[in-house]
This record gives sequence, structure tokens and C-alpha cells, in this order.
Amino acid sequence: MANAVKNQVCGVPENLRKQLAVAVRSIQWSYAIFWSLSATQQGELQWGDGYYNGDIKTRKTVQAFELKADKIGLQRSEQLRELYESLLEGDTDQTKRPSAALSPEDLSDTEWYYLVCMSFGFDTGQGLPGRALASGETIWLCNAQHADSKVFSRSLLAKVGTVVCFPYHGGIIELGVTELVPEDPNLLQHIKASLLDFSKPVCSDKSSSVPHNADDDKDPICAEINHGIVDLLDLDNLYSPTKKIQFDHEEFDEFCESINEDFNIVSPDECSNGGQNHQLDDSFMLEDANGVASHVQSWHFMDDDFGIREKAAISSPKLESAGHSRFKELHEGNHMTLSSLDLEVDDDLHYKRTVSAILRSSNWSIECPGFHTCGYKSSFIRWKKEGMANFHRPRVQQNIFKKILFAVPLMHGSNSLRYVKENGRKDCLRKPENDENAIGCALPEKFQILGSMVPSTSEVDKESILKDTIKYLKELEARIEELESCKNSIEFEERPRRNCLDAVEQTSDNYENRRTVDNVKKSWINKRKACDIDESRHKTGSDLKRSTPKDGFAPDVRVSIKELEVMIEIRCHSRELLLLDIMEAINNLHLDAHTVQSRTLDGLVTLTLKSKFRGAAIAPAGMIKQALQRAATK
Amino acid sequence: MENSSQESHLRSDNSVTYESPYTVYAMAVSSTPSPTNLSHQSIALGSFLEDYSNRVDIISFDPDTVSVKTHPTLSFDHPYPPTKLMFQPNRKSSSSSSSSDILASSGDYLRLWEVRESSIEPLSVLNNSKTSEFCAPLTSFDWNDVEPKRIGTSSIDTTCTIWDIEKGVVETQLIAHDKEVYDIAWGEARVFASVSADGSVRIFDLRDKEHSTIIYESPQPDTPLLRLAWNKQDLKYMATIQMDSNKVVILDIRSPTMPVAELERHQASVNAITWSPQSSKHICSAGDDTQALIWELPTVAGPNGIDPLCVYSAGAEINQLQWSAAQPDWIAIAFSNKMQFLKV
Repeated sequence: MANAVKNQVCGVPENLRKQLAVAVRSIQWSYAIFWSLSATQQGELQWGDGYYNGDIKTRKTVQAFELKADKIGLQRSEQLRELYESLLEGDTDQTKRPSAALSPEDLSDTEWYYLVCMSFGFDTGQGLPGRALASGETIWLCNAQHADSKVFSRSLLAKVGTVVCFPYHGGIIELGVTELVPEDPNLLQHIKASLLDFSKPVCSDKSSSVPHNADDDKDPICAEINHGIVDLLDLDNLYSPTKKIQFDHEEFDEFCESINEDFNIVSPDECSNGGQNHQLDDSFMLEDANGVASHVQSWHFMDDDFGIREKAAISSPKLESAGHSRFKELHEGNHMTLSSLDLEVDDDLHYKRTVSAILRSSNWSIECPGFHTCGYKSSFIRWKKEGMANFHRPRVQQNIFKKILFAVPLMHGSNSLRYVKENGRKDCLRKPENDENAIGCALPEKFQILGSMVPSTSEVDKESILKDTIKYLKELEARIEELESCKNSIEFEERPRRNCLDAVEQTSDNYENRRTVDNVKKSWINKRKACDIDESRHKTGSDLKRSTPKDGFAPDVRVSIKELEVMIEIRCHSRELLLLDIMEAINNLHLDAHTVQSRTLDGLVTLTLKSKFRGAAIAPAGMIKQALQRAATK
Repeated sequence: MENSSQESHLRSDNSVTYESPYTVYAMAVSSTPSPTNLSHQSIALGSFLEDYSNRVDIISFDPDTVSVKTHPTLSFDHPYPPTKLMFQPNRKSSSSSSSSDILASSGDYLRLWEVRESSIEPLSVLNNSKTSEFCAPLTSFDWNDVEPKRIGTSSIDTTCTIWDIEKGVVETQLIAHDKEVYDIAWGEARVFASVSADGSVRIFDLRDKEHSTIIYESPQPDTPLLRLAWNKQDLKYMATIQMDSNKVVILDIRSPTMPVAELERHQASVNAITWSPQSSKHICSAGDDTQALIWELPTVAGPNGIDPLCVYSAGAEINQLQWSAAQPDWIAIAFSNKMQFLKV
């Protein structure tokens, strides 16, 4: 049915499976695979069809009677193929699957290898089948699991001892067996002959009864699968179908590492042999690396129940199968324990699940070119974990690097910051999101910063920015002088003010000396400090000179201080929120007003306040007066 | 080949050293065979002297005999150290004669030079400033290998400028970042990415100049990212390095903000990164710990992070690293006043 259609698409001769079956059974080998030329990719070999004749771990069938040996084999091959396909589709919800279907833990190692082979593809000349295709000759590889992975790309995966490939009908037939069999041309002849023989009757059958045959073969299997009757409930529970399969991130990482270690061959020579070493990794390596990453990310912590059950499940297949007598008799040899896989028991299931996820997300590509290892020595040596112990870090890191990036551009810059009036320039602060390509944005960033810091300026012109900066700095200098005169009576403001003074003085100095970029930069930085300090401390007053009363009537403020008590009298024009502003000003001076009296007459407000200093910090009378004057005239 | 009396050449089967009279920083390996000898490769070395007069020298490397040869006539002056040098990539069929190569250098401006057999002629100075007194010095540039007439430059004035060098005009200029832009790298013909002192990696598409995508920001805000390398074999991946950091951050442009890997095996800050020109999974990094490490990026990282494949220890902090597509078996490194070619 579907298979037959597929066969036709892939260029696999019909009834090939039977041919393979006959061939393999006659020599009693483990499996036969037909690699067919891909229709889509030139010269690439893909899985065509296969027959598995090797050891089986868990038999899952529905019917009570035992099939004939060859039918068993065909059925098994079919089941393996279906398992592969279901893994590929990522069908982890087991309820959808027919209950007699295989699941990964039912497979023996050789079966698993056979299944994994289904995902492989080979370019001409690559891997054993590829080379057989390229050369057109038979290749016999003995001791396959110890073969170089360049020769036999699945060597790390293989549980087979001997593999033979030969061209057939435009593709490659591969036969494998777990034992080590020395090269025997007679055997080959025998195989080829048997294939040839079989194909003849098939041809004649083809014309008349292929559909029938196909049905014949398929039907029993289909029927078996479709019947829901299976005494495999316990095995079903292993999958806990209602729960999503979830992964513990950590476990996954751990096992991955163990896989990496296990499949790592430490190559004798020192070259960067990464490509060879990570053969399995290569084959697991996704075109779409994100696939695994995203899988890992999306797999969350497996919840405990499931975990426990799962662990039980791994050990249980044997028990279960032992428990069910009818399965016991079908349960064939090969008790290759899980531990022989050199993986943790838990990891085995993880591994299979992982593989299913990987299969789901991509085809296993042919080994990537990996790292070139040349015939001769590399300058590089293999990295070891101990590495360089106690390396003394240089005091200035990335010294030359930083100079190239930070200092060198500024070396050029001595020409760049003269006053040049550039008119009609757009505001370069806006980003492309808001603005079209701002071509010719020539205002360097520092000027922009300066412009934003000086409160009065809104120019984008270099000259005017600097003019405003000069003005502002002069104002600040005057302010500082004034504050200095109040210096002695202020305790808490001393320290920050000193900084401010220093900073501003430095600024003034540097500002005179406008010669080099560095200095200007410094001045900007210091100026910023001055600004910040100013702003943070004196919320109410920054530019005294500017705050000229608007209506010509200066508010009359009288302040008298007696120890901690401050008595304030204010007379000014009434306005909205006046009281609020005054109270705010008083609060800022660390005063707590406990008595307030106010009288309004003809638009004139007379306020009498009695307040107390909050803490030890005492503001001088002059300061209070100024602050209140300002607040009143706001 | 002949050794001049000045330079000492250390030869072995797998590396060759060239000792220059001055500290070397900028380095470029040509993508085409040297005009002097087809089996040789030209390398441009820019000096790093902290004053006005600097030089760029061309030497040629012979991979067969593993030796370098100097060409005293192939040299030119450069104002202040060149911040980057690069030969024209993929120069297969060119309109001009095939016996010359084009070298670009960045410093105060982007300059193009024609490297001929026995001389170097300046081709053009690409200056975008409206007035003669103003320039925005360039920190780096990248030559688009898909569209060879396009060069993107990054500057300390926070902009990136895209030049059409055949016509010698600006294609576009974008304000790329909030702060100085330190490196720029092309992905495709119209897509580039840049890193900046504001700590972000942004991707820009010339078809949509109004928007950029931030694909990574350094975890400590405002920590500058100094270099960017885009994997030309697999355009999903980029690598970047942070100031004063020993980590190489590998980014996947499809998952912004979250690095795919952080390669943390250097014992001091990393100075240069370069992807392998042939394999999409290999990257080389070099740093102040005098080591050059080659990494292979696995699909799944172990819990302890990724270990490098192999390492090379130079004699001093390695400042520059080049892995040219023309010589994929050789990595060029520069440290103090030496340049070495190492067999991979």
C-alpha cells in the first residue's frame, strides 16, 4: 500500500523486501538494507527498504498463533519501519498509536541500529554505501564497530560486526551481521544469486498479482495492528499517554555529556580531529541547530510520578514479557542488557526519546565536513582542561585594542571640534525609528550632551551651545561664591559643596583652555558633576539671577532664628498655590512649621510662620530668606 | 625565499613568523593570489605607533614553502594607526586588470589603495564630511562580499555609513546607536549588524532604514561590545566580545537577547574573534592570555560549558586574528611586533 507506493517513488524494485528477506535468511545474517538513489538529490543514497532478521528483544503481536518464520521477519521489519516513521512524526502521544506497535524500549541494540540506519543518507563517495556506489564494486567491511568512522560512518552506532555493500539495481544493498565474518566471495555470489532468482518469479507475479501479494503481505500485519486486542496494557502504561513527554533539563544535559564522552574517540595524533571524534554528534547534528536547543528549552521538568514510573518501566519490560507467558516463548535470545550500551538505564529511555525528537526535527545529514585534519602537524595542540594555571593577567587588558578603538579616533579628532557654524541641521539626537536617514549629522555626541545639560539652551548650533555653556558656568561660579560665604554655618552641606567647588573650579580652568579634545571632555564630565550636585541639593534655587520677580514687587520676607526656633514673616502678592509653595520651601530647608497664620488683604498675603529645625542641620537666615522669596514669587 | 637581514623568520613545518619593525595591529589577508606570484598570498600589516606617521606594509606568504617575503616597495604611509585593513573579498572577475588588488584602510577616513606588483597607488579617499575640518574617525569597516561595491563603516559619532565605492558616494548613513559604534559586519547584501559602546548588537536592513533590531545587549548595561563577527557559513550565528571580558558570546539571530553559548575558557580578555571560512561550526578567538583557541560549537552543550578544540600559545598578548577564506588551513595572528601564520 503506502509502502508499495513509496517503493515506486524511490525507485526501489517491488517486492524488494522479500528479496532481501530471502537473501538475508539464506545466509542467516542480521539485516539487509537497500539504499536507493534519491529522487530529489543528485547522487545521494537514501533508505529504500530493509529487512531485519536479527535478534529481537520484545515481540509485539496481536494474534495468538505464531507466524511462520519469514512472516515474522517481515512483520518485524514492518514494525520497525513504522516505529521509525512515528518517531519521525514526533508522535509521542501513545494513545494514537496502535497498541501492538513497537516502542523504542522494545528494541534490541541491533534493531535499534537498524532503525537508526533508516535516517541516514549518503552522498556519493561517503560512507560505505556511498563508496560502493561510487566505485560500483562490492565492499566488505569486517569488524565494523571498530572501523574508522570515515570508512564506516555508523561505526560508533553499529552493533554489527560485518557489513557488506554492493551495487544492485541502481542502488546499494547492504547486509550486516553481528558476528565477525571474514570476507567470503562465495557468500556474495550466493546472495546475488538468490536475489536474482527471486526477482524472476516476482517479475512474473508482478504483472498479475502484485496488488494481491502486497495486500496479502500487508493485510495480516494491518489486521494485527488494527485489532485493539492486546494484552499490553502494562507496556502501554509505560508511556503514560496523557502526560506530555517532558524533560529534565539537567538530566538531558547530563546524559548528553555521557553520550558525548562515550562516543568520543580520542584520536592518537594531536591534530584537531573534531570531525572524526564527534562522529555520533555529527550524525545527530542538526542542520537546524536551533532544533535541539529549542527542544531543550521547551522540555520542562518531568514530574516525579512519571519519572518513577518510567524508571520502573525500563526494568519492567523484561519482567512484563516474562510475566506474559505467551510472549515469553516468543521472546528470543539476545539478552543484551541495557547496561551494555554503556549508558545509564534512565538515560537509555532519554536517549531514545531524544533521538525521536531529533529525528522529528530534521533528517540526519551526512557527516559534515568537520574539521580539516591535514596530513601534517598543526600548530595548534589539543586543548586540555588544566590549561594555563595561574595565568597572570596583564594589568591593563585589551590594551592595544582599546587604544585603537578609543584613543586613535580621538587622535584624528583634534581638527574636528573647532567652531564651525553649520546651519540648518536636523536634530541628530533622534534615532532612525523616528526619523529618516539623518544624513550629514555632524554634531558630535558630546555637544549634544552639553546642549542637553545646559538648561537654557535649545540650540543645536555648536557656537551657541558653547556660548550658553559659558554663561551658565559664570552663573554657577557666582553662585558658588555666594554659597562659600555661608560656608561656615552649614554643617551638612560642607562635603558635597567642596566637591562642587572643586569640580566647578576645574571646569572653569579647563574651559579656558579649549585646545584639545581631551580637556574639553574632562570639563564636560566635571561640569556634569557640578550640575548633578547642584540639582540634587538645591531644588529650589539654581539660577538666582534669573528669578527676577515678575510683578516688580519683591516679597517681603523676614526671618529670625532663635536657637532651633525660626520665625518667618512673609508679605507678598497672593496667588494660587502660594501657601503650598512656601510650605514646600520650608520643608526643603528641613524646617517643620508648627504654627501658621495668614491674612489676606487686597490681594496681599501676610504669613506668619513659626517653625523648628528638624535636625541638627541649620540653614542660615539668608538662605531661608532667599528660598522663601523665590517660592513666593514663583 | 629570501630573508632580509632585518627580519628574523622562524620556520617550521607548521608556522612562520614575520617580525616587523613596529607593533602591528591591523592585518588583512588577501582573498586573491598575490600579484607577484600566484601561489602566494598577500598580507597587509598596519603599524601601531602612537603618533601621526604610521605605515602599512604588504608582505607575501607562501604556504608551500611556509615562508614570508617582504616587499619594500609595497608600503605606504598612513595618518595615525589604521584601525582596520581589508582586501577586497572574492575578487574573481574584476573590471581592472587582475594583477592588482584593492586594499581598504580605515582611520580618519576610508581610503582605498590599489596594490600592484611593485607599487601601491591610492585610489580614493572617501570622506563624508560636509566641511573640510570635520571628520568622524572610523573604528572599523566591513566589505560586503556579496555586493563588492558596498562598504559599511562604523564611527565614533554613533553612525554607520554605507559607501558605494565604485561611484565614491555615500549610499546611506544611519545613526546606529546611542554611543560610539565599534564594529560592523555584513550578513547579506543588504543586512548588516553593528556593536557599540552602548552594549547592544543591532541588525539593520537597508531596505528598512527606520528600524533596527537589537539582538543582544550586554548584561551589565552600557558595557561596550567591542567586536562582532558574523558567521558567513551559517548566517544565523554571530559572535561578539565585551570590553574586559574573557567570554566569547555566540548569538543566534533568531533568538534575540539570549546567547546561544558563552565560550569562557580564556584566562584574560579576548581581543579578536573570527569564524572559520569553511566550517560553520568553528570559531577562533585570541586574547590577552597569549592564547588562540579554536572552538567547535556542538549542537548540545555540556553542563560545564564548551571546551575549545585546540590551543596555540604565542609569546605575547595576541591582538589580531585573521582566518582567510583563501587560506583556510592557515590562521594569521599578530602579537606585539610579530605576525605569525599558523597551520590549523
